[in-house]
Amino acid sequence: MLELKHISKSFPGVRALDDVSITFAPGEIHAIVGENGAGKSTLMNIICGIYQADEGEVFLEGRPVHSRDYRQSLALGIDIVHQEIQIVRENTVAESIMLDKLVTYGPTGIINWSAVNERALKYMDMVGLDVPPTALMKGLSPAQKRLTQIARALASNARVILLDEPTSTLTKHEVKTLFDILNDLKKTGVVLVFVSHKFEEVFALCDRVTVLRDGRHIETRPTSELNRPELIRMMIGRECKEDHLGRVNFSRDVEVLRVEGLTRVGKIEDASFSLREGEILGLYGLVGAGRTEMARVLIGEDRMDAGRVVVRGELARIRSIADSLYRYRIGYLTENRKEEGLLLADTVRANLTITVWPRMVNKLTRWISPRQEDATAHEMVESLDIRTPGLAQIAENLSGGNQQKVSLAKWLAADCDVLIIDEPTVGVDVGAKEQIHRLVRRLAEEDRKSIILISSDMPEIVRLANRILVFRDRRIVGEVDNVDDPARTYDEISMAIGEYLQ
Amino acid sequence: MPGTYTRQSSLERRVLIPGRTIGLIIAAALLFGVIAAYSETFLSPYTQFVVSRLVAQFVLIALAQAVCLVVGGMNLSVGAIGSLTTVALGLCLEDWGLSGWAAVPVGLAVGAACGLVNGLLIVKVKINSFIVTLSTMFIFMGLRSGISGGNPYAVPDSFTVVGQGNIFGVPYFFLVMLVVLVGVAYMYRNTVFGRRMLATGGNEDAARLSGIRTDRMILSANVLSGFFAALAAILYASELGSAAPETGDSWLIVSFAVAIIGGTGLNGGVISALGILMGGIIYTLIRHGLIEIKANPYYMNVYLGLLILLAISIDRGREVYGERKRQAPEAVAEPAAPVEPPQ
Repeated sequence: MLELKHISKSFPGVRALDDVSITFAPGEIHAIVGENGAGKSTLMNIICGIYQADEGEVFLEGRPVHSRDYRQSLALGIDIVHQEIQIVRENTVAESIMLDKLVTYGPTGIINWSAVNERALKYMDMVGLDVPPTALMKGLSPAQKRLTQIARALASNARVILLDEPTSTLTKHEVKTLFDILNDLKKTGVVLVFVSHKFEEVFALCDRVTVLRDGRHIETRPTSELNRPELIRMMIGRECKEDHLGRVNFSRDVEVLRVEGLTRVGKIEDASFSLREGEILGLYGLVGAGRTEMARVLIGEDRMDAGRVVVRGELARIRSIADSLYRYRIGYLTENRKEEGLLLADTVRANLTITVWPRMVNKLTRWISPRQEDATAHEMVESLDIRTPGLAQIAENLSGGNQQKVSLAKWLAADCDVLIIDEPTVGVDVGAKEQIHRLVRRLAEEDRKSIILISSDMPEIVRLANRILVFRDRRIVGEVDNVDDPARTYDEISMAIGEYLQ
Repeated sequence: MPGTYTRQSSLERRVLIPGRTIGLIIAAALLFGVIAAYSETFLSPYTQFVVSRLVAQFVLIALAQAVCLVVGGMNLSVGAIGSLTTVALGLCLEDWGLSGWAAVPVGLAVGAACGLVNGLLIVKVKINSFIVTLSTMFIFMGLRSGISGGNPYAVPDSFTVVGQGNIFGVPYFFLVMLVVLVGVAYMYRNTVFGRRMLATGGNEDAARLSGIRTDRMILSANVLSGFFAALAAILYASELGSAAPETGDSWLIVSFAVAIIGGTGLNGGVISALGILMGGIIYTLIRHGLIEIKANPYYMNVYLGLLILLAISIDRGREVYGERKRQAPEAVAEPAAPVEPPQ
């Protein structure tokens, strides 16, 4: 039995887990569900020792677990099967399973391969992995790789196995095989914790389900007593405390962007929508539902397999972000600001003006005017209230919220008409979040920008958008309009969105 | 972030010469002083002429490396490009009897074309620059040997003016290098092209997502690299008075050593033209100093290798120290960004 008692964990600016207590019984499959940022990953990482809880304790069979890292947890019998399949491609299956306990001929350090293969075979049988132990990992299907990981967990005598979205790379048939094996496995008394975004799987496989929301434990219920709408309500239903921002006043008759049947195989299928001037269009869905994937096709970062994009009435050919920015004035603010948004080691000045250098150039000398560059940067710092000691400050030293403002500012400096803003408030504190919200509204209302807001944060998207497209399984499955009507409550809108997710 | 923001503070902080480069200038001056005090001949016009010409050659070779390092790549084929250029030059001058005015553009074009091949392989076939330039190094070297048969080509006397002449004791070679260096400094500091290359090396993904065609930047950097290698090779042939096919054989280590000592970031995004000049001077002076004190020439590479290690270690030390200094007071003041790990 695995028990979590009053676990809390904070990261700078965010309380990721707040007093969470859950009991996982042996012989059952226990699902953990929640929106992005609900705290699922943090919880998993605490259980397997990658993070340490600020408060509270983890008990395994009545004894407190104080592991300082993953290796210690592993030694105690807690293992995790990660979402991404992590393998050494050139290893054999047996080697992968037995990697940390290879059998040697006494103290010689020479590996007794036949013994290794024999022992591995035992665990392979347990998970129904029907390949020779000497097969190479690289030849295995994703499902077989997944089973190898589970076999490895069993080989290390794991009594608790955490499965973080184990089905994400598997086909339907493979998922079924995996489920059969997990069902057999639970009879042996192993604690199985299953994290998933897919409700079908939760209902098909799991005995009990725990819902996390905003880092808090909402409820734990047997899946047999629950239905889908209830589960979704538990996931997304929350009071919206923030004040209403009023209606978005957009121009219904000025269409700035129309997307028709946009498709990229395996990423987004047949997406069509239209965007008007001054509108804030929200894209809601879970991770992998196709929102970011669509945005990246739209701006030319990824190739489009089919579809048409019309910008201000003209058919657009966008084959790179440079096209998107300089020809069609569509900007994309990445969700991944540290890796893709900022030149972290460069100055705030350079990060603010990178998109507009060509405009500041003297035709003859090709000189970028330092005066103009500073002026533009100043303007952005002031209008967005970016807190920095100076333009020469290195971007890495700014706080998350201010970094986010810098990455937003470069698109404003470039005078984009359409801004695609992807998860703008992930990793920023509450104050900065409020500022960014107001800024987004101001851009639409005063500057007449058209904004596509991608967010997995339901209160955020309901608060800002006037219309929301709901994405599921790489498709747009629904549209909720008049989100900004002050007469409609948050509950009403979130329920409307929730219906499309079923 | 502590500290208030004012318009003034940003303007005065546009640093002209960073601290690291100042350190290099001091080191170069010290070396110069020590060697001048120790050796009687060092300050003679002839020695100064020879030494400064050597500096010019090393700086050009280092530039060929640095422009690739800046965009986050490298070019192992700088020497091979130099060799091939020399052979092309020799063919033009001796076998085909062209004048220098025709042969030099051909040589430069050959160098740039070699760079273009590297760049296209890196960008279009998406192989990393190490593998690409390692392979093309052999290819270019092989072509060089095959075409030339290893024999040097004669060049006309008029061709040696730039490499052997001087004005007020300053070699033309050195002046050419200075002009190039000023151009490079200007390019990286003040032009869109240069700053986009810097941004590409700083963070390729972020640069591309900011509307920079990063592929073009990498391609251009490789062409520039080939061009600089060719320029160095042509000037060297002019200095030597013959086009010797083995020209680039020793360039690889020089190109990295001078670029690294000069403060070119190995991870891209950082370059200092003045730093590279100082790097060239320090490298040349240490070589010269070792000759002056009659160090065993067979051990020469040991010292030069140690010098590179020293430069990297000092940089690494500064980096670690700087990080500590930055983090200590600010850890409490405001949280940094990372919060929720990806789900």
